[in-house]
Amino acid sequence: MTEYEPRLIGFLCNCCGYAVADLAGISRIQYPPNIRFLRVMCCRRVDPSMLLGVFSEGIDGVMITTCTLGGCNYIRNHEQVETKYHFTRKLLEKAGFEPERLALEYIFASEGQKFADQVDAFIDKVRGLGPSPVSGDSPDPGLLLNLRAAKAAAENYRLRALVGKEEKLIKEGNIYGEPVAQEEFDEVMDEAVESEYVHQKIRLSLLREPSSVKGLSERLGIDPRKVLEHIVAMRQLGWVDVQEIRGSSPIYSAVEVSE
Amino acid sequence: MSGNVSSPRVGVFVCRCGKDIGGVVDVPAMVEYAKGIPGVAHAEEDAFACSTTGLERIEDAIRSNNLERVVVAACTPRTHEAVFQSALERAGLNKYLVEMANIREQCSWVHREEPGEATDKAKDLMRMAVAKARLLSPWEDPEVKQNPNVLVIGGGISGMSSSLSLADLGFHVHLVEKEAVLGGMLRSLHKLSPTMRDSSEVLEHMLMSVEDNPNIEVHRSSRVKSVTGAIGSFDVEVESEGAEKEAFNVGRVIVAIGSDILRPQGLYGYGQDERIITQLDLEGMLRKGGVRGVSTVVMIQCAGSRCEERPYCSRICCNTALKNAQILRELSPDIDVYVIYKDLQTYGIESSALELNTKRKGVKLIKYQDNKPPVVTPGEDSISVRVFSPTINEEMEFNADLVVLSTPLIPVEGAPEISEMLRLPLDDFGFFREVHQLSPLEFATEGVYVCGTARAPKDAVESISEGLGVGSKAAENRFSRRRGRGAAFAEIDEKKCSGCGICIELCPYNAIRKDELGISRADSSLCGGCGVCAASCPERAITIHHFTDDQLEAQILAAVGRRSGK
Amino acid sequence: MEGSVLVIGGGVAGLQASLGLANQGIHVHLVEKAPYIGGVMAQLDKTFPTLNCCICILEPKMIECYRHPNIEVHTLSEVVDVDGSKGHFAVRVVQRPRHVDPSRCTRCGACIESCPATVSDDFQTGFEPRKAVYIPFPQAVPYAPSIDEGACLHFKGGGCRACEEVCPVGAIRLGEGVRVSKLNASSIIVATGFQQYDPTEMGEYGYNRYENVITSLEFERLISPYGPTGGELERPSDGKLAKRVAFVQCVGSRSHRDGVGVPYCSGICCMYTAKEAVTVKEKYPDSQINVFYIDIKAFGRDYQDLVNRARDELGVEYIRGKPGEIRENPLTKDLYVWYENTDTGEIGRKEVDLAVLSAAVLPRFENVRLAGALGVELDEFGFFRVEDHFLSPLETTREGIYVCGCSHGPRDISDSVTEASAVALKAAGDIRLAAGDSGG
Repeated sequence: MTEYEPRLIGFLCNCCGYAVADLAGISRIQYPPNIRFLRVMCCRRVDPSMLLGVFSEGIDGVMITTCTLGGCNYIRNHEQVETKYHFTRKLLEKAGFEPERLALEYIFASEGQKFADQVDAFIDKVRGLGPSPVSGDSPDPGLLLNLRAAKAAAENYRLRALVGKEEKLIKEGNIYGEPVAQEEFDEVMDEAVESEYVHQKIRLSLLREPSSVKGLSERLGIDPRKVLEHIVAMRQLGWVDVQEIRGSSPIYSAVEVSE
Repeated sequence: MSGNVSSPRVGVFVCRCGKDIGGVVDVPAMVEYAKGIPGVAHAEEDAFACSTTGLERIEDAIRSNNLERVVVAACTPRTHEAVFQSALERAGLNKYLVEMANIREQCSWVHREEPGEATDKAKDLMRMAVAKARLLSPWEDPEVKQNPNVLVIGGGISGMSSSLSLADLGFHVHLVEKEAVLGGMLRSLHKLSPTMRDSSEVLEHMLMSVEDNPNIEVHRSSRVKSVTGAIGSFDVEVESEGAEKEAFNVGRVIVAIGSDILRPQGLYGYGQDERIITQLDLEGMLRKGGVRGVSTVVMIQCAGSRCEERPYCSRICCNTALKNAQILRELSPDIDVYVIYKDLQTYGIESSALELNTKRKGVKLIKYQDNKPPVVTPGEDSISVRVFSPTINEEMEFNADLVVLSTPLIPVEGAPEISEMLRLPLDDFGFFREVHQLSPLEFATEGVYVCGTARAPKDAVESISEGLGVGSKAAENRFSRRRGRGAAFAEIDEKKCSGCGICIELCPYNAIRKDELGISRADSSLCGGCGVCAASCPERAITIHHFTDDQLEAQILAAVGRRSGK
Repeated sequence: MEGSVLVIGGGVAGLQASLGLANQGIHVHLVEKAPYIGGVMAQLDKTFPTLNCCICILEPKMIECYRHPNIEVHTLSEVVDVDGSKGHFAVRVVQRPRHVDPSRCTRCGACIESCPATVSDDFQTGFEPRKAVYIPFPQAVPYAPSIDEGACLHFKGGGCRACEEVCPVGAIRLGEGVRVSKLNASSIIVATGFQQYDPTEMGEYGYNRYENVITSLEFERLISPYGPTGGELERPSDGKLAKRVAFVQCVGSRSHRDGVGVPYCSGICCMYTAKEAVTVKEKYPDSQINVFYIDIKAFGRDYQDLVNRARDELGVEYIRGKPGEIRENPLTKDLYVWYENTDTGEIGRKEVDLAVLSAAVLPRFENVRLAGALGVELDEFGFFRVEDHFLSPLETTREGIYVCGCSHGPRDISDSVTEASAVALKAAGDIRLAAGDSGG
């Protein structure tokens, strides 16, 4: 059996990440070859749903290298990278996937050695975590479903709106001008994430195979009352329909929603 | 294989770069591998792709193979992208249809001991570049015509400096001043530090120049009521006292609204005794000939600044105090002048000379400590000023006939309104806050600049400098402007936009606005291509050209695919 | 518009002035003495008060300048004389040979590796050697090495051609000669910057005697990630991490001793020291830092905030008192800083690993020759003199020749850049005037 070598993807922002990676090269600083970098203009471009998609493809780890504040050329709203990073990690955790497989590193364009050290350390960390449970020829189907549900949740309007508004709500307040406390916001956010994630899990599961509430509860490991709550809500939205009645239990199926 | 829109013909060029790439990465294997990548119609290697011959070969290959997209696997695009973009243009292709795979700085140079892995990585990077290249679209950076006129808000020294220089360049300048006369604070000053220049002389000269200049249209007793639009075309509405509203269009806006002086009621007895005045009051007295019946003057520095309420230093108060102290001594050598200070902000050559001269003229400088400020007690005959001097380790007491407080500059009342009108952020104290250290006069809203004390406290010379500085910024690209930031820009799908406005809040360039229907619209000439809007839009209605979701996903799949044999 | 402007000096002010003009469609000749543009700022680690990484914000400007179609960059060049008057200057520029063709060079580095000659590296303020063929720092623009004739064996009569032999693209040009050109300019902008005072003559501080007494510019190289120690504060004598650091202010500035230093305040040292202290504290939270000062000049935007952060948040100890003497332990090379705390009256002795002297800002010694060539006056210190700050701002004693940045006195980056924009506007006005004269 060949020894596992982590397969990693990275995002480099044009002014700092990409520049410092080049600098490491110019300085001939060596680091292991496990990572493939994508260039973006700014790490704010990186959408949480895209990151979750990357993990669904079986990548062992993802590294985002962004500007330390003070080196960034886009300056304002620099915190957005971190906001999206935390949001992605929350969803990874929900999915039962190790959030440490996603790293966010800050760098100045002048710190070639530090960059190489960061890459090296991350590769080591991911090596220690072992291969991604959804990589290879037989990915864990439960986890794969979870990741896909997480990705779908990251595409959900309400969650994205909350993430997008977090900074403003906390700094300036809501439409009544009342600032929202971080803990309060986190509570609302956590609830929304949980709700939407379960929503998507059920939907994806039903898409694969129609089921009863009990069947879903067993398959997904979710409390049947909760499942029922979601089913009811999804019926109202027209996402779910009763396919047939088996015995006394309705069998639900997901309605294909066209984009 | 003939190309079509959905599957353009991609040419791949792998550069050896002598031994730099070729010595680590198996270049021939790369070329062979490239031929098998979907979409690749042509692949070749070159010793030095960026050399004259190398570029010619690329151009020839484009023409003879009808290539529609190009991938160059070589060094870093940060230095060489422009070189290959020019080659594409010469070969008749849009310059943004090339994608580089960095197999030198980010591959062969950093994985020298692992040539096998480095080659694998290089193949992946090349494959990723091909995947993206297939999805690239051509782009022409549009030239946007600019109205070469300028609005200057504020007719003080920096506003006038700006206006005069821009007028000399042929700009038509609308100079809007809220008072009935131009000059701002300059009208109230006596002599200007650090060289003791007569303020009236400077003022008269500038007023005359402005009057004489046919390119400057002065709107006195006027206020700017609204400014809409973007760089190159701002629609301005000005209201004048006793006159009709005026509207005009300009390409640039300069904010030079100046500042006020703090009048700290209650501090050191200010406002309770008419013998306790500010430096500005003293300037007024000196303009009228001096002070009478005074034998002891005490000046207190940092009166209302560098304290908890206002932690900033107002930069000019030490020079102002020294200058005025010196003048008092010159007017009447019998007057005793004491300047009580915390840290003397005499920076640079001229201020240092001013400090020396002031001491030579017999002005006494006395340091006080932050935690032991002077105590001012007005009495009938004189005002007692007591202060602990760490230099002699004793308390000193003065019986002053006049106490002059060196108070800081503060923003003018109109600053918040202008800030809102033009979307210019203010710092904690109400001064306009610039974006970046290397662009101290520029703000997130392009085409709008701030100069003078509205930005931060400074003296007359520095205000003139800034007035000219913003003029220079305004003069750049004043007839027509290209964004010049590459092909990355945001486009919002109006059918998907639900008007939540999150993109507007997060855009670092203020490049997005709502149209009459409440739909967000991104101005591609302002957009910096950062992508925060796309990643944040709840409806996922935004595309970032040249870094689209499809392109990024294609790169990711290409990176994943090879290993698993897909 | 027809006509060009000559900008002398490729530091941050010169770059800004050039861009300001070029973006107005005006042609610029940017003449720089060194083989690279960027000036002193390229040697600095961070800016104040924002703690931006200097090279990170400077590099885009350097690249923009070098690539701008309206800017012609002449490195290794100096102005030797100027004829004419405002609107019609004729300038003679001498360009020393680079001996490397930048258009061919691929930065492979083979020449540098093969070169047998070494010399002290000025860019790294002498902390390490470099080769005779060299690139001063990794982000240098132009993106090509140059050969230092003074260090190169070939030019010292040795006949060595090692670099030429190994270069895979034939970019070495050992035979390249000096080039003299005549440039026309309607106005000239002087942006020659500054140099730091050498405090050797102030014997009480031990500079040049004690290895661990360094200047602030030398400190910047030590703390820089692309400096000789990769950014670790390893002190010169033994490489030990310097956790106890003394910063001494006003070394050479505000001096009233005859013939020693300069009488003026250098303006920027209080702030760069605060920045340096914060940088050390953030890197090594257990470090002990002292700043010995007379007055704290924190007059600019957010300056006082940075000082407060150093002093109140991070625990940098500010002591008001100029040290009387620095002594060295000859065995450990540790230093003892003797001082009087004028706030408390106590005499003290601080034991430190490293002493950093905020040495004065001086005009560049080349100013004398350049002023002669330009026919302009210098002030008593050797800075370019501005005739009338109010009615002819930033203009020297010769019409049409302007100054910006530290060439006319100490100032920080923000002010230098502002002045650079200001003179760009003035120069643009001159071109228009000249065009008007000739009816074009």
